[in-house]
Amino acid sequence: MDNDLWRHWQELASLWNPAAPDAPSRSGLEGTFGLGSFTDAAERFAAAARSFLDGAANASAPAAGEAARAFGDFLREQFTEFRLPWSSGIGAGAAQGAPPPSMGDSPAFGATREHQQRWQRMAEASRRIGDAQRRLQRLWCDALREAAAAFAARLVPPHPGGVSAEALRELYDTWIDCAEEAYARVAHGEAFCNALAEYVNASSQWRRELQASIEHMAKLLDLPTRGEINTLTRRLKSVEELLRAAKNKRKPRVAASRTRPARRKAKQ
Amino acid sequence: MTGASFYAAPAAASNGAAGCSQKDAVWESGKLRLYRYRPIARPTGGVPLLIVYALVNRPYMLDLQEDRSLIRGLLAQGVDVYLIDWGYPDGADRLTTLADYIDDYLAGCVNHILKARRLSALNLLGVCQGGVLSLCFSALHPQRVRNLITMVTPVDFHTPADLLSKWVSKIDIAAWVNNGNVSGDALNQLFLSLMPFRLTQQKYMHLLTGSPGRAHIENFMRVEQWIFDSPDQAGAAFQEFVTWFYQENRLVENCVAIGGRKIDLRALRLPILNLIGTRDHLVPPDASLALQRLVGSADYTALEFDLGHIGMYISARAQREVPAAIANWLAPR
Repeated sequence: MDNDLWRHWQELASLWNPAAPDAPSRSGLEGTFGLGSFTDAAERFAAAARSFLDGAANASAPAAGEAARAFGDFLREQFTEFRLPWSSGIGAGAAQGAPPPSMGDSPAFGATREHQQRWQRMAEASRRIGDAQRRLQRLWCDALREAAAAFAARLVPPHPGGVSAEALRELYDTWIDCAEEAYARVAHGEAFCNALAEYVNASSQWRRELQASIEHMAKLLDLPTRGEINTLTRRLKSVEELLRAAKNKRKPRVAASRTRPARRKAKQ
Repeated sequence: MTGASFYAAPAAASNGAAGCSQKDAVWESGKLRLYRYRPIARPTGGVPLLIVYALVNRPYMLDLQEDRSLIRGLLAQGVDVYLIDWGYPDGADRLTTLADYIDDYLAGCVNHILKARRLSALNLLGVCQGGVLSLCFSALHPQRVRNLITMVTPVDFHTPADLLSKWVSKIDIAAWVNNGNVSGDALNQLFLSLMPFRLTQQKYMHLLTGSPGRAHIENFMRVEQWIFDSPDQAGAAFQEFVTWFYQENRLVENCVAIGGRKIDLRALRLPILNLIGTRDHLVPPDASLALQRLVGSADYTALEFDLGHIGMYISARAQREVPAAIANWLAPR
């Protein structure tokens, strides 16, 4: 069949990885970059969809329902490990910054007290990040479960006589619709907002503590620090503002328009 | 499409950042460039239109390719178009505030145009966040703005459909910014998370499975480039914007001050055209529609289009309808 989506995807996949056209899956490096991961996902989806469509065609109502549930469960499983975009961005690197275990919760004394406390604060931030991530992941799974149920409920037994590319595509789009609707319900909820805020806030704290540690090391080596550059930037900005104000004084018309309260009516 | 062309099309489409229409840089300040577009149709002779784009993302989305260009559509209508390119903030810009953007950079652009064209006022078109900046500027300098057009511009940041607003409501923005800039990549992650299945999965699947032609792939790749070409945000301005508008909803509460001067939208009496995408997931329609009850203008028009946020710039329907709507609205004013 010319418009067989399964074959079309396979052709695209082999096109993407011409060195190994018969390889069943392209996980790994080529799956990480470009469209490789999507061709993999497309293959898995097409196989599951084909299984559902073949199994549900001419099946009894309970069997068709079971096939739909199995298909929904497959999709839920596929996306369980999917990482939400923010989870690799805002707080990236926090896990690598965990303090030495020996510092743990021990009381901080002596000359290294400040550093130990900083590491402890980092550890606490790391713990909060992990907790928030787990809460978000649970909510993500809830959304997937809801999406799978909604998807299974919307599935109808296919017409006998072959699986068309259009049918597969419609199935995929139905799944996406269900998933987005379920995710939106979760993402608008207070639990999700709280967990996301906690994740970002903990990540901010972790980054601040790490920055302080690095600044301390930089000072020991007499290297310029971000704090020092910030101070210079502030001074430069205030000089620029003074300069601009002086320039505006020399240009009365401009200066007047810059400082006049916005109470005049517009010319129309 | 063969293997070779499948690769060739995206490669050929990778250079869309310059925009497609001819333009000249006519003024600059720091990283900002003010461009004037060369006419492609007989000018109407009307007042120039200055487009104020958002600080997030790059303005070439408005001039992506010949058949997907709001700017080209306006030029075809005879509108004299200027555009602000804010540039890419770096570490030295971390203390740049909204007052700097509005009262120095934007005001500098307006002053340049007015002086060069010997005019007392021009037309402003604010896009998305740029619409908020334009509203503030118009409130501060009403004598310099003849007509104001806002496009997919949030005004009420606390509408029920505003997911971004809910998400940031409990985030400690000062700690996030921490006297630095905010990474454009991090913001992109947030934007993608608004609709993760569609934005990180479905659109690529559709590309793979739709047997797309070369033109479709080129268009896709240009949009893709634009989406992920996200400038870092100047920390101070970002902190002010999120805190004042997203968290405190100050436009609605009527308590915005820029550079110590109050922004009172009720004092805005100039003609206003508000363009809204009814399927906008970033700026829900209600967030834009709120403008009508907040401004004092008796000449207010809202036009709704059955489009999403990005569709308002680049969809085929937008090309047909939006530039004409703007030009028609401006013509008698």
